[in-house]
Parts: sequence; structure tokens; C-alpha cells
Amino acid sequence: MGGYGDVQCIDENGIRLDGRTKDEVRPVSIETGVVPVADGSARIRWGLNDCIAAVYGPMEAHPRKIQRQDRAVLDVRYNMAPFSTTDRIRPGFNRRSREISKVTAEALESVVLTELYPRSKIRVEIEIICAEAGTRCAGITAASVALAHAGIPMTDMVVSVASGKVHDIVVCDLNKEEDNYGEADLPMGILPNTGELVFLQMDGDLSPEQFQEAWDYNMEAAQIIHKEMVRALKGGDE
Amino acid sequence: MSIPLVPNLLRAHLAELAAEDKRHDGRGQFQGRDVELEINCLPRAEGSARVRMGDTIVLAGVKFQIMTPYPDRPNEGGLMCSAEVRPVAGRNWEAGPPSAESIELGRVVDRGIRESGCINTEDLCIIPGEKAWQVILDVFAISDDGNLFDAFGLAAIAALRSATVPAERFEVGEDMPLDVSKTPIMCSYHKIGGRFVYDADKREELGGDERIHITLGDDDHVHSLQKGLKGIFTAAEFAEINEQARSRCAELRDLVNNALEGE
Repeated sequence: MGGYGDVQCIDENGIRLDGRTKDEVRPVSIETGVVPVADGSARIRWGLNDCIAAVYGPMEAHPRKIQRQDRAVLDVRYNMAPFSTTDRIRPGFNRRSREISKVTAEALESVVLTELYPRSKIRVEIEIICAEAGTRCAGITAASVALAHAGIPMTDMVVSVASGKVHDIVVCDLNKEEDNYGEADLPMGILPNTGELVFLQMDGDLSPEQFQEAWDYNMEAAQIIHKEMVRALKGGDE
Repeated sequence: MSIPLVPNLLRAHLAELAAEDKRHDGRGQFQGRDVELEINCLPRAEGSARVRMGDTIVLAGVKFQIMTPYPDRPNEGGLMCSAEVRPVAGRNWEAGPPSAESIELGRVVDRGIRESGCINTEDLCIIPGEKAWQVILDVFAISDDGNLFDAFGLAAIAALRSATVPAERFEVGEDMPLDVSKTPIMCSYHKIGGRFVYDADKREELGGDERIHITLGDDDHVHSLQKGLKGIFTAAEFAEINEQARSRCAELRDLVNNALEGE
């Protein structure tokens, strides 16, 4: 959270830089089958975010030391392509992508029925092609759709979204400027059928009332995004 | 990349088909898969392209940085080409440091572009000895169903030709198109069942032998060659695929020119 700077993220009429009101989600569209050689795949475009997730497996887990006798292991990698941001990203793993890969894996392990595939591995590859704030949420959401597309049994799909605060106003689904100049960021991973959570992070400063407002925005946004996830998998009208 | 076990049955099957002048997907010996080329598809890149050849899909993005020119070349900027095949692209591509295969891919694509002289590094100088542009071309595989070399080569030159120098963002003048004077194109031939075919898919790569990559520039000038994998070929075989490459490179060059004109 970088403080106000010179950027005015919300005008006097309550309209944000991308034209949304404070409770609106950016446009989301999802398609499946975008990596034809994978067992399952999905692409999510969410605002300017463009994220691809591919699933391979279940397959043999090797080396053997990573095998678990009672369940499958999820091997999740989150990565930003070098051309996904304004300043080029040097290829290779860094601390940020390693942490995001870890929390993403833990969120997905909470819903995938890994006990059905002992001693095997399910690979989940998340690639950010174009980034505009909320890439970890886009990655978790795309990975859920890719897992479903691969036919991996799950108790529910995870919908992830981040709301936050800018100029002391709580806003739904942060965009790039709000993420850079805002005062709080609350990403959550939500199971839309039960309202349970499998992923939660937060940084910044929120009063108890603001925290509740941001929480509620995420819950509402999750329902909207979940509709698009189901549409992408099942086809039919939006 | 881990090399999967190749069933001898696949090799034998492809060889039987080759003896009858056939390929497993019904294509002719020198017939490529359908090619889709889309340019300026990556909003955060200064130039970009997406190429699809069958189920092989790749992206290329161009970024610019300001560099200090090297002391022995104070009037020149730089060009860097990097290719990555991350595990998203296929079940046999593994995480970790770049494999020998992906390094070879990047270097062969880089040589074709660099040696064609399509970018004049002196044009990239801003203030001699102080500031120059470094052009960074990143090529990225989304889905590998064979012949990543040609897909990478095509995406790379198309992305470069669509690039805009972001001078305003770096406060060193006005934005302008990157000057790319030539269009080098790569064509790859794999020996399968004893004969060379163009644009092998993954099954053909797995059940085949050596491969030859030819990059031709405008006027059919040769800019890079690479023979990969175990195998022996004759001068006559090379002459035949070189001849084939001339006409195919010209077709693909037209595809790039048309895509750029459509912008």
C-alpha cells in the first residue's frame, strides 16, 4: 500500500478510474480448452488481467519422496510472463511467486478430493499473460475452472476476489491504481455454494466496519464470477 | 524436458506411412498445419504476437529498457532474445532451470533474427556513450504440439515488427515505430521414417530422427541453420528442403506483412 500519491482513484461522483461505482466487479470472461495439449485448461480475462491455467494429471508422482500414500499431491506453480507488466519481469522463480504458488496450492487442496488418487500428482500451471491487480485471485479462479475442465473431482470450485480501500472508501475488486495507491487489500478464496473460505490474505488498514464491508463485497462478487465459471464449463447463455 | 519413452510401434507406424508417402494426420510431405497470426494482442507489451499452428500456441512480447552502451560500442543499443518453455506447455516440460532443449530453441530463434540484421543497433542509440535502447524479445510457449521452433520464429519477428519504441514513457522523445528492415522466417524439417517432412507435430517429433532448421531472410538469404538430434542426411536431401523452405518462407512472410497491414 503506497499511500495517496498524486492519483485520484475516485472522483467526486463516486466513479472510479475505470468507470465503475464502488460496488462493481470488473468485466470477467472465462473460456476453457485454451491449452489443447493439457488435460484441462482455462483462460480468465478480468479487467486487463489475462491468465491461463493448465492442469496435467493425475499422473505418476516422481521423485518418489514427494509421493503421499493416502492422497495425491498438488504441484502448483504461479508465474508472471516477462511481458505481463509495464516493466519487464526477469524469468525465474522469485519469493513473491513462490508464496502465491504455496497459498494457491493450499486453497485448491482444500477442495480437490486428493484421497481418490494416492501416490499421484496433479500439476496446476498458472501463467499471468497480462497483469492488472488481483492476479493471484485470477490465478486461483482460473485454476479451479481448469481442474473442473480436467474432470478432477472437487467439493466446490474456489472463486477468488480482492476488495480493498482507497481514499478511505471501501471498493469492490481493486484495479491497478487502487492496488498501487490504496490503503488496504483483502483477497479471499470463497466456496460459492457454502460461503466457506479456503484462502485469505490481507494487508493495509481497515476499521472493523470497513473490513465487514470489504468482506461482503467479496462475497457478492464471488457469486457473479461463479456464474461465469459455470457458464464457461457448461456452455449456454451468460 | 524429460524425454518420454517412445514406443517402437509409433516409430514403425510413422515409417510405414512414410513408405506410402503419407503422414499420420493426412498431410502431404511438405504441407504445414494451418497458421493463425494475431499481432498486438498483449496490452502490457510494446509489440506482441500470438501464433497458432495446429495445437501449438505461442506468444511473443517486446519490452524496452534503457541501457548504458558498452564501452567498445558507444553508439549502439542492444537486442536480447529469450525463449521460455514453461511446464504449462506440455506434460514433458518440467519446472526448474531452462533445459538444454529450451536453451537451444531460444538461441536458434535469436540467431535468425540477429544475423539477418533486421534491427540496426546503431538506430537504438539515444545519447552516445550514455543512453541507448535495449530491445528485449520474450517468446513464450502456451501449448506444445510440435515444431515450437517455427512458431517461436514467426511470433518473434511479427512481435518485433509490430513494436513501438516507448520514448514518451521514458521521457526521451516521442513514441515511434521500431525500425525492422527485414523479415527473417524459420522453416523446420524433421526426418520421419527416412524422409524429411515440414512442420512435424508432437507425435512425429517423438517418433522421428534428426531435424533441420533453416532461417531465410528477404531475397532468400540464409541467416541461420541448425541440425538437431541424432541422424545423418545427404547434400541432396538438404538441397530439397532448402528449396522447399524458400517458397514456404515467402508465404509466411506475406502472412506477417498482411497481419501488419491490417493494423
